[in-house]
Amino acid sequence: MDPLQQELLELICTTCNLHDVDLASIGPDDPLIGPDSPLGTDSLDALEIAVTVQKEYGVRMDSENTSRVVLQSVTHLADYIKANR
Amino acid sequence: MLLLDFLHTQSAHCESGVAANLLTHHGLNISEAMAFGIGGGLFFGYLPFIRINGLPLVTYRAAAGHILRQIAGIPGVCMVEKKFRNRDEAMAELDHALAASIPVGLQTGVFWLPYFPKALRFHFNAHNLVVYGKEGNEYLISLARARFASGALAPKGKMYYLTQAPAELELAPHLVRGIQSVCKMMLASPFPLIGVKGIRFLAKRLGRWPQRLGREKADLHLGHVVRMQEEIGTGGGGFRFMYAAFLQESATIMQEPRLQECAAALTAAGDTWREFAAMAARICKKRGRPEDSYPAMVACLNRCGAMEEKVFAELRQWARQHS
Repeated sequence: MDPLQQELLELICTTCNLHDVDLASIGPDDPLIGPDSPLGTDSLDALEIAVTVQKEYGVRMDSENTSRVVLQSVTHLADYIKANR
Repeated sequence: MLLLDFLHTQSAHCESGVAANLLTHHGLNISEAMAFGIGGGLFFGYLPFIRINGLPLVTYRAAAGHILRQIAGIPGVCMVEKKFRNRDEAMAELDHALAASIPVGLQTGVFWLPYFPKALRFHFNAHNLVVYGKEGNEYLISLARARFASGALAPKGKMYYLTQAPAELELAPHLVRGIQSVCKMMLASPFPLIGVKGIRFLAKRLGRWPQRLGREKADLHLGHVVRMQEEIGTGGGGFRFMYAAFLQESATIMQEPRLQECAAALTAAGDTWREFAAMAARICKKRGRPEDSYPAMVACLNRCGAMEEKVFAELRQWARQHS
């Protein structure tokens, strides 16, 4: 995982109050949202993550489809931020 | 395998995306945001007498089918629309259109669409998509069951396609008309549940939920408002951003800096909707910050109302000068 991916994962855990997650066990391509996610996050968490990312990195996820694609994994999220900031 | 020569462009919202894709296929190249704007897609309505999953409907965009109807009304555009009682007949008619190389728009129930991840499936029957091919009995984007999903807004096999679109279109009068229709709904509806009045009505109601419903049920209602806003094709913030993109495109076409300013102001309103939704999500998840509360959400919604009132008053004035 590159430094931005690591930083994003930590930000997500802080935003969603996920204190008992073992960050080392999360892979860069693991799903971030939904029942298959090791984080156990849902769509309300996704919304908070989108708002936090906009505040921290100045990158807006314009629509539900964009956030659905971008929040597939920490790799997707980091790539989206790099491409849009 | 039957695969039509159809350039599918990913869209943010199904109905405006389908409209733009079908028009582009017929040689009239317009963006999704422009289809959304011309189609008068933006709206707000808090409709507690319509229940979705037992909770009041909050919608941030025009009724399903509104955009397509507006697009179909453009001179030179011919749209064929059919509904069916019989499933076999509906599928046969779809095959018939595909065999004639016509990409077909369908209204479907999201719950039955196999390409939706299971976690994101819900009973919403007004999802539009384009079918542009078939492999054996597998349609490229479709399923018979989704066309006959039951419940609210049941699609009844609805299919539609364009038979004609103008090669060129002078966009100015259409975008002015689209802006006028949205301004009318947002500012001048006689119903207190619609437009800016509706936003304020929701704010007032939401502030009373903890006393009226008890905290647990109030949070349930709140979660529903947020899901309606950000997830199920009714998205508040997202539609404000799309309409802002339409205004930005219109500003370039009309060489009109006022529209550019309105685009920026509406983007700010979209961000405020998102702030409201994020605060609501934190409250639902019981991880609210010290500043998060029902009164703070009421204030946030009232800010959204005030921002949108200002934008649409400016747009209404501009449209009057250009109609």
